Amino acid sequence: MSIYDVEGVKQSLLEKVAQSDSPRDVLKAPEIRELYGVIGSLPAEERGAFGKQVNEVKLVVEAAIEARENELESADVQPLDVTAPWDVNSAQPALLPTEQGTQHPLTKELENVVDIFTRMGFDAVESRQIDDDHHMFGALNFPEDHPARDGYDTFRTEEGFIPPAHTSTMQHRILKEGKAKLEAGGQIAAISYGRVFRNEDVDATHEHTFYQCEGVFVSDDATLGQMLGTLRSFFETYYGQELRVKTQPAYFPFVEPGLEFAIEKPAAIGGKPGEWLEMLGCGMIHPNVLREAGIDPTKYRGFAWGGGVERLVMLKYGIEDLRHFESGKLAFLRKFAS
Amino acid sequence: MIISVNWLKHFTQINGTVDELATLIGARLVEIESVEDLGEKYKDVIVAKVVECGPLENSDHLNVTKIDDGGVWQGVERDENGLVQVVCGAPNVRAGLSVAWLPPRSIVPETYNDAEPFVLGAKPLRGVMSNGMLASARELDLYDDHSGILELDKEAAPGTSFAELYELNDYLLDIENKSLTHRPDAFGVLGFAREVAGIQGLPFETPDWLNVLEAAVENDGSAEAPTIQIEDAGLSDRFQAIVLSGVDETAKSPIQLQTYLARSGVRPINASVDVSNYLMLLTGQPSHTYDYDKLKEVAGDDFTIRVRTAHEGETLVLLDGKEVALDTSDIVIAAGQTAVGLAGIMGGQSTLVDDSTKNVLLEVATFDLYHMRSSQMRHGIFSEAVTRFTKGIPAPLSTPVLVEAVRMLESQTGAKATSAAVQDYPGVREPITVRVSEAQVNGVLGTQFASEDIANLLENVGFQVAFEGLEATVTVPYWRQDIHISEDVIEEVGRLAGFDSINLTLPRRNFVAVRPNSFDELRTIVRKSLVRAGANELLTYSFVHGDTLKKAGQNPDNSYRIINSISPELQYYRQSLTPSLLSNVFANVKAGYGSFALFEANKVHEKGDGLNDEQVPIESDRIALVVTDAKKKGAAYYDAKRSLEYVLSVLGVRVSYHPLDGDVSLFAPFEPKRSAFIIDEATNRALGVVGEYKKSVQKAFKLPEYTAGFEIDPRELLTSAQSVGFQYRPLSRYPGTERDVCFQVSQSVAYDEIVSTAEKVLGETGLITSVSPLDLYQSEEGDTKNVTVRIALASYEKTMTNEEVTAVIDKAIEKVVEATEGRVI
Repeated sequence: MSIYDVEGVKQSLLEKVAQSDSPRDVLKAPEIRELYGVIGSLPAEERGAFGKQVNEVKLVVEAAIEARENELESADVQPLDVTAPWDVNSAQPALLPTEQGTQHPLTKELENVVDIFTRMGFDAVESRQIDDDHHMFGALNFPEDHPARDGYDTFRTEEGFIPPAHTSTMQHRILKEGKAKLEAGGQIAAISYGRVFRNEDVDATHEHTFYQCEGVFVSDDATLGQMLGTLRSFFETYYGQELRVKTQPAYFPFVEPGLEFAIEKPAAIGGKPGEWLEMLGCGMIHPNVLREAGIDPTKYRGFAWGGGVERLVMLKYGIEDLRHFESGKLAFLRKFAS
Repeated sequence: MIISVNWLKHFTQINGTVDELATLIGARLVEIESVEDLGEKYKDVIVAKVVECGPLENSDHLNVTKIDDGGVWQGVERDENGLVQVVCGAPNVRAGLSVAWLPPRSIVPETYNDAEPFVLGAKPLRGVMSNGMLASARELDLYDDHSGILELDKEAAPGTSFAELYELNDYLLDIENKSLTHRPDAFGVLGFAREVAGIQGLPFETPDWLNVLEAAVENDGSAEAPTIQIEDAGLSDRFQAIVLSGVDETAKSPIQLQTYLARSGVRPINASVDVSNYLMLLTGQPSHTYDYDKLKEVAGDDFTIRVRTAHEGETLVLLDGKEVALDTSDIVIAAGQTAVGLAGIMGGQSTLVDDSTKNVLLEVATFDLYHMRSSQMRHGIFSEAVTRFTKGIPAPLSTPVLVEAVRMLESQTGAKATSAAVQDYPGVREPITVRVSEAQVNGVLGTQFASEDIANLLENVGFQVAFEGLEATVTVPYWRQDIHISEDVIEEVGRLAGFDSINLTLPRRNFVAVRPNSFDELRTIVRKSLVRAGANELLTYSFVHGDTLKKAGQNPDNSYRIINSISPELQYYRQSLTPSLLSNVFANVKAGYGSFALFEANKVHEKGDGLNDEQVPIESDRIALVVTDAKKKGAAYYDAKRSLEYVLSVLGVRVSYHPLDGDVSLFAPFEPKRSAFIIDEATNRALGVVGEYKKSVQKAFKLPEYTAGFEIDPRELLTSAQSVGFQYRPLSRYPGTERDVCFQVSQSVAYDEIVSTAEKVLGETGLITSVSPLDLYQSEEGDTKNVTVRIALASYEKTMTNEEVTAVIDKAIEKVVEATEGRVI
C-alpha cells in the first residue's frame, strides 16, 4: 500500500466543495493533480489498485460538486405566492388554443369499446398493471411449469410479481365478485380493459406494452353459439355494418373449447370479401377456472374472450408503426384532433 | 413444422384442392402460416438415361454424355437417334445411369427462390455443345450433397417427370408450432393425417405396424442386452431398447425417403440416422442409437442402463464435443454408473456412433416433459427431438416405433436384431374414460347433434364411444393425454364438426341497465377538459430507466424492479408520471414545438405503499400534465395552475394551495418554493401537487426555463367531485354593484389570505357576492405589493343603496386590513 492518505485527501476535498460557492473549481485543486502524479511514481504492481482508489475519489467529489451546485442554485430560487391567480406585474395566463388539444387515439378507442360493451350490458373494470402469479396464471388453469406459460413472455419483479401479460388477470376477480349475483339468479357480464406487457423486442409490429380488452359472461345456459353471436354483435356495432365471422381452433388453458375469432374485413376500413382479420381469442370458460372462483361448473357455464386494442386503432386510421403509440411525439399525437 | 400434403396422402384420402384443405385445416385444426407449391420448382425436371459417356477432349474431368429423355423435351438439339448431348463434370457419371436432367430453359431448383433464378441454356463447353445439365442432389434442392450427380434409385422410363417419380409434385404446409403445444400427436405426419381424415368426416385407417403392442422382434440372441432401470417413475414412463449388429453406417436411404426428410426440414445423413428421423417425423417419437461396444465398455461390470437425475457436480461431454455441467434436475442416461447422454436432448461423445460402428443399441423412450423443458432451456439445446419431448410423448407409442425401426434398419443397413427388446415401463396407464351426454355437448356448443353424429366424429380419430341412451362413455386413445374431462370431448366434437357450422345466437339477458363506471366517467371528463385546454394526451411506458428516477430525484429502491427485462429502459416500475412526461419535453421542443402541454392518465406503483388485501402491490391512479414554452420567461407555475383550475371548475371542485412539505416521491421533482400542495376545500383531501421543477430536474431533463406541471390523484378527485352538490343559486331580480379595491400589503402576504378573508365577511351578509382578481402589482423597490380585487354584490330583496354597499365593502376592507396588516390605496 502506498503511504499516501487517499482517504484524508478525499475528506478535505469534500469539505472544500461543501463550503465553495463555485464548487467545480475544486476539481482543479492541486491535491487531485498530485494524486494522479503519484500513480506514475508507484511500482507497476501497485498502480492498478491505487489508480482505482484515485478514480473513486474523483467520482465521489464530482457527485458532491453536483449536489452542491444544485443546492446553490435552489438557494437562488425566488419563492412565489402559490395562491395567486397569476404572477405579480403580469396578466392571467391564457390556456393553449383548444384546436391544438388532442386525446390519444388509444384511450379514445378504449372509451369507445367500453361504451359499446356498456350499452350491451357489460360492466367495465380496468385491468391491473402489476399482479401475482395466482391471478395471471394459477387461477386460470395454468399449472406451474406448464409450457403454455412460455408463450406469454412475462416480465417479473424481484419479488415475483408480474406485469400482467393479458387482461385475463382480472378474470378470477370478476368471477369471484359476480358469484353472489349469479347465484341470486343473475348473470355475470363484465369486461376488463387496460395495459398488458410482454418481454419482447420492439419493432413496427411488436411492442412490449399494449392494450387489451377482455370479456366474461357466465349464466346457467351460456353456449359457444351465444359467444360467437355476442362477439359478432359487438363488431357489427363497432363497424356499423353486418359482418361475416369465422373461427379457428386455438389452445388457451383457461378455455375449453378455445378459438381464434376473425371477422371479414369491413368495407369501412377498405376490406374486400374474403379478407379476414383475426381479432381475438375466445372460448368457453374452463370448469377449473369457474371452480377456482367458487362457481359450480355443473350449474353454470360461461364464455370469455380477449383481444388487442392497437389493432383496431391501426386499422381505423391506417397507422403503420406500433411504436408511435408510446413515442410521445407531438407530430403523431396532434394528428388526432377531434 | 412443415407438413407435406403428399405424405399425408399416404395415410388418408384428401378431398378438394389444396386451398380447400388449407382452409379446412385452418378452421378445424391449426393455423397454417403458408402453403408452398413444391411441384412448381420441379416441373421441368426430367428423368433421363445416360446412353453414352466419354471423356471430353482437353479436359481432365469433364465427360460428354448422350442422354435419352424419351424425346419429351421440345426445342432441343438431338442427334440422329434422338439423344441429347450434355457435358457433365460429376465423377460418378457413366453410361447406364438413370439421372435427373435439367433441360435448357428450365430453372435450377436450388436457385428457385433466389432473386434471379438460374435459367439453363444450351451452350458450348470447351467447344462442345451442352444442353442443360445433369443434376446433383444439391442442385435439385433435395439435400446438401454435391459430390456427384444424383443416381436415381427408382425404375422409370426416360421422359418421366422427376417430380412425379419422387412425389415432389407436392404442397408443403407451414404449421405454426405454438398452436399445437397441447397436441404432441399432431407433431407427427400420422397424427396429422388422422386429424385431416377426422375434419373431413372420414374414418382414419391406422397402418398395421402402428397397432403393434408387443415388441416381439426376431433375433438370434447373440448380443447381451443391458438391464434397463428407470430410477424414478417421475422421470420417464418407459425406456425400451434393443441391440442390432452389422449396421452399415455408410449405407444410404432410398432417395424417396431422403426427399421426405428434406422437405420436412431434416437433413438426410445416412440410412441409420434417417430411419430414426423418418419415424420421428411420422409418429412424433424420437429414438437414439448408441455404439453398443463403447456403451458396454463404459458400463464395465454393471451392464445396466439407468435413467436417473444427474449427481451434484456431474459433467458430461456431449456428442458435439462440448462439456456441460449438469444440474441435479437434468435427466441423464447412465451406462452402469457413468452418464452417457442427456436424456432426450443429446447423446454423449463416449458412445457416439461413427463409420466404424458395427453394433448399436437403439433406444426408444419417453421422458417427463417438465424436466425436458427445464433442461432444454438450461442447456440451450433446441432440436426436432427435444421439441417433441417437451410436448409429452405417450409411452405406448414406443413399441410400434421400435419394431418398425428394426424392420427398416434391417432392410436398409443390413443390420440384424441380436437381442430381444428390453424395457422398464413404470408408467403403464389405464386408458382414460370420460362420461359425456348428448345434452351436455349441445348445451355447451349451442348445437343439435344426435348421439350417432357425436360417436362418428370421435370414432373417426380413434376414440371409442359407447352410448347408453343419451349418455356416453368415451375411451380416449393413448395419444390424446390432453383429454380428461367432458369439456375436452365437447371441444373435439365442435372442432371436428367445425365451430363455424354452429348457429350464432345472443344470450338471454335480464334488462338491467349497466351503470357506467364513475371513475371512468370522471377520467373521461378530465381528459376532454384538458384537450379543450389545448393539451395533448400521450401514453408513456409503465417502466422507466433507473436514471430517469434519479434525474427526477426519486429513489430507485422505492420501485418494483423488473429482473428479466430486455432493455435497461424498462428496469423499474415508475413512482409517478411526472418523470415520464418530462422525458418527452426536450425531444418535442427540438422537433420544433415551441409551446405545448402534455398530459397522461395512468397508473403508478411505489414499493413503499405496500400490498393490498390480495397481497399484491397497491396501485395508484394519476393524471399528470406538463406545460412548457421554449420562449417565455416568468412563472410557469401559474400556467400549470390555470390548466388545473380549468379542470377543477368543470368538476365544480374548489381547492386551496399549501406549501409542499414532506419527503414523498410525488413531490421529488418539484421545487418546494415554487410549488403547492393541492387540498380539496370541501373534503380536506389531498389531491396532488402543482408547480415548477427543481433546477437539477430542469437541467437533467433539458427542460425550457418556462416549464411547470401538476400531478393529481383522480380517485381522490372523484371523491371530491362526488361531494360537490348541485351549486345553482337563483338569480336576483335586482341589479348588482361592483367595487374595485386595491390593497397594499407586505410581499409575504398570500393573495388567498385577502380573498378568503373578504369572502368570509361577505358570506355572512346573505347577499350574492364574489371576489375576483383584477391586478397584482409589485414595484421594483420596496417590500409591498398591490392587490386589486373586484367585489360584486347583489341582494335578493332590493336594489342596494350606495350607503348599504359601502357599509358592506368597508366591513370587508376592515377585516382584510386587519388580517394582513396592510392598507387600502
